[in-house]
Amino acid sequence: MTTLAVPHTGPRVSATRIIGRTLLLSFLVCLGIVVAYPLLWMALNGFKDNEQIFGTPFSLPRHFSWANYVNAWNHGVRSYVITSLLVTISSGICTVLISAWTAFGLTRTHLPGRPFILALVLGGLMLSPTVALIPLVQMFQGLGLYNSDWALIILYTAFRVPFTTFLIRAYMIDLPAELDEAATIDGATDSQRFWRVILPMCRPIIISCIILHVLFAWNEYIFAMVFTSGSDTTTLPVGLALLMARHSTNYAEVFAAMTISALPIVVVFFATQRYFVRGLAEGIGK
Amino acid sequence: MKRIARLAVLMGMAVSGMAISASATRASSSRKPVVAEPGATVDYSGTLSLLTKFGVQQLSPYFVNAAHAYETLHPGVHVVLDQQTDDSVKDKTKTLVASNSLPDIYFSWTGNWGENFVRGNRAVDLSKVIASDTEWGKTFTPAAVASFVWHGKNYGMPLYLDAKFMGYNKQVFSKLGIGVPKSFDELLSACDTIHKSGMTPISIGNKEAWPAIHYIGQLLAYDVPEATLEKDFNPKTATYTDPGYLAALNQFTSLVTRCTDGGNMNGVSFATAIEDFSNLKSAMYYQEIIEFDGSASAQTPLKQNDFGFFVLPPAASAKGDTKAIEGAPEGYMINTRSKHVSLALDFLKFITSMSNAEALSAPPYGQPSAVIGAVTDKNSSSSVVAGMVDLNATPFLMPWLDTANTPGVASAWLNGIQALAGGSMSAAQVIEGVATAAKADADR
Amino acid sequence: MKAAGSRAIGKGAGVGRTDASTGRLRGRAREAFRQCFSFRWVAAAVIVLVWFVYFPVVDNFIISTTRSDIYTGDVSYVGLGNYSRLLHDKVVWSALWNNCAYAVISVIFQVFGAFILAGIIESLRSDFWRRFWRALYFVPSAISLTVTGLLFYFIYQPQIGILDAVMRATGLGALIQPWLGSEHTAIYAIIAMSQWQGFGYSTLLFAVAIQKIPGEIFDAARIDGIGPIRRIISITWPLTREMTGLMILVTITGAFQVFNEVMVMTGGGPNNASQVLGTWVYQQGFIQDDFGYGAAIASVVFVATMLTGAAHLWYTKRGRVSW
Repeated sequence: MTTLAVPHTGPRVSATRIIGRTLLLSFLVCLGIVVAYPLLWMALNGFKDNEQIFGTPFSLPRHFSWANYVNAWNHGVRSYVITSLLVTISSGICTVLISAWTAFGLTRTHLPGRPFILALVLGGLMLSPTVALIPLVQMFQGLGLYNSDWALIILYTAFRVPFTTFLIRAYMIDLPAELDEAATIDGATDSQRFWRVILPMCRPIIISCIILHVLFAWNEYIFAMVFTSGSDTTTLPVGLALLMARHSTNYAEVFAAMTISALPIVVVFFATQRYFVRGLAEGIGK
Repeated sequence: MKRIARLAVLMGMAVSGMAISASATRASSSRKPVVAEPGATVDYSGTLSLLTKFGVQQLSPYFVNAAHAYETLHPGVHVVLDQQTDDSVKDKTKTLVASNSLPDIYFSWTGNWGENFVRGNRAVDLSKVIASDTEWGKTFTPAAVASFVWHGKNYGMPLYLDAKFMGYNKQVFSKLGIGVPKSFDELLSACDTIHKSGMTPISIGNKEAWPAIHYIGQLLAYDVPEATLEKDFNPKTATYTDPGYLAALNQFTSLVTRCTDGGNMNGVSFATAIEDFSNLKSAMYYQEIIEFDGSASAQTPLKQNDFGFFVLPPAASAKGDTKAIEGAPEGYMINTRSKHVSLALDFLKFITSMSNAEALSAPPYGQPSAVIGAVTDKNSSSSVVAGMVDLNATPFLMPWLDTANTPGVASAWLNGIQALAGGSMSAAQVIEGVATAAKADADR
Repeated sequence: MKAAGSRAIGKGAGVGRTDASTGRLRGRAREAFRQCFSFRWVAAAVIVLVWFVYFPVVDNFIISTTRSDIYTGDVSYVGLGNYSRLLHDKVVWSALWNNCAYAVISVIFQVFGAFILAGIIESLRSDFWRRFWRALYFVPSAISLTVTGLLFYFIYQPQIGILDAVMRATGLGALIQPWLGSEHTAIYAIIAMSQWQGFGYSTLLFAVAIQKIPGEIFDAARIDGIGPIRRIISITWPLTREMTGLMILVTITGAFQVFNEVMVMTGGGPNNASQVLGTWVYQQGFIQDDFGYGAAIASVVFVATMLTGAAHLWYTKRGRVSW
């Protein structure tokens, strides 16, 4: 299946090395099972009923019917998905744009007081959302944005800008200064430099940032729980908790809903992993 | 990297500096009480906001439908619903209170929970419209209306009633030759018999901490006189010296050892426990009326005909009210800051009209309405009707321990009983912890 | 890596100078105007952060010096009263201990464990399998905690849970506990779940860092006959030190801010045994209606995070390796 990169095979392949390689492989496979099995189990539970889930939670479903999946979709999951999509996409665009502007301003313009602004932006990394919860609720109520999609879009943007800026800035800072010089000689304004030269060059890290933001926004719980209510503004994580409330819960439907909520994100991640890793590789750890 | 990190840390420290030097004083806002007048004209226009506890899929259509019907009746009115669940409504309410943004109508429990709204002048005085001698008030079960009285005034409207009973599997009981236990000792010996047959006598999941508290509440109602309980619910007058407390906790301990899977209960969710009962793995499950139809239905292995219930029996030594039942109505209040008090009142009257009350009591909702005559054989399952009969006969409705007490005391109960069940605290230590919490609340 | 970072800040300034000398704008006034005009690039971030992040946090510190009744809206100033109460609160100390346990265990698994795992994955020859394992291990990080919480509840369940089944099958039946229900094991059961969910994320980041080490260094080591284990110890480890430092910082600060995991699994129970500072803030503020005291506990989280930051500075100050 997998070959370890053992250089110059031949005389140096010893018995211990083969054993070592086998051990490593079985370790990877076992860990893979530990990771994958629970997820498979979640999807399979969507085919059971309450009795089977609680009675024999780890057996295979007796019969395969999509009824639970269909019901889950019709009992609210559709609207949760739409809200989650809306919030995730809008806040993702805001976050990445604002962060890219900021990174540009911090690395490629002659902005006065740069260290101070850098500290201000990255200081946000150290502040935890729980600490700001109550003041934020009062503020959003005053703004008339409480219980609206806007509340989540603004909060997700505000709390993700520091990290996203950190990543984009680290990437931008390494782009050669000659780029700016050439553009300026050609008579480009700052805006043109940003949109036509720098931003396109940052594509790998922008893609990574978008993926990281999607992972965050799709699964965020505290803000979504506190700042929204009512079916129109419920996102998936809160919606899943709603499905699981106190009395008479159909757990099979809950598991089906969970699978529906997890599937897109897993697919997106597998599909974009190559770009994701590349962007991070070039941007992180600077 | 180094510089970034240093700047980030310095920035954080600057924040704390700013905070310490800032000395903002927040003025408290004093408001006048608001009284609902019976004859007030209703202006059928504007937006009416509502915080409900019916967020679960099964229940949420009730208010959605009612709102639609009301909007059709009065086209100028727009009803905005915020539907929460049993678990989320507490946090949500407090967030709304803290930010002065309660909706026009909001959900409330009885006991300390509701009293807070009264204390903070956030609930409209409804005495003139819902007191038991008024036209509207007469349509409700008197005990339910009385549960929303504080300082002699009515501040809430009961929507439905709920109480705790021991549901049991009739087939198992008759097969083992057990009758319905009349005393606590009979219950314990019934447990022994069931245990010997290889079945779990009572399934209980206490991961959420409130399930065991419900046992304690009922046992306290039996073992501690009502007056003492009422006195101890108020931290300023609480003593917790009545020997009934220790007796009740010791009864619970013997129930844990002889009837349940023991300390495991803290790792099990209430949802698992009720499934065990429905799936014939346990013979009994202590439950609320609103859970009856879920424990035994056409879909569950436990058939509706095999489902029976009894009131958790009192011990022979009980010094309190042995006819008491633990339970409480749940209801709604009107916000004093609402711009549409009379409209809100009109909407509350609308949802407690006989047809809406019957709809609430019937499947799929199955919430026994507080409106007299709404729960009948026609619209409710026979066990729900029987439960309501018991409930209407009880002289003392023991409120839920976790909503009757202040949050500090409630938390001491919840944690203490989890520790008692897990074996890390003794009954005396639990009571001591509760008394300490009450004292701390009184000093504050 | 580090060197690149410090150089870059200097370079940023360099761009400005070059621009000014070669650009068409020369007047000092216009230059000053242009400098201020560049503020527009960062304006959005500054406004959003000050308004929605910094201001509320400052507000929180003000709240921590008060005692308030949310129902009546009465607020009284109590100075450091909430902070002195905090010192005598046993749960604060046990929560702090739980946070520390969270931090230590997470560093072991999500930093050192993930480093070793990344080393193993990156030593695979096939690019396909490297990508496969990285992606597979990452998947739990992409799953909502609501899902993970329910999943692990079933795994930890007494009697029918899969963990108990595995333990019985391997002869460890005597050690079985009600994992989430015992005061001794609840927090560790939650931490274990957290490792399951988080290790793939850091493995991926380490894999990225290892990829950045120039291949020639490994080739040279191989030619010198240095074995794989020594290569990891004496090449990979020192050359990914920056990443390790960053991961430790992120992991420890994360451990002090942990909230969702505990909330979803136990809510801090049984008997407050699994409370962490984050959930204790919530418990005091939202459940016990004592926002002032909750805010005071929140500042402990703040201080812990800041101390971690300071320690990280100290760590990165010591010599670094570059290439």
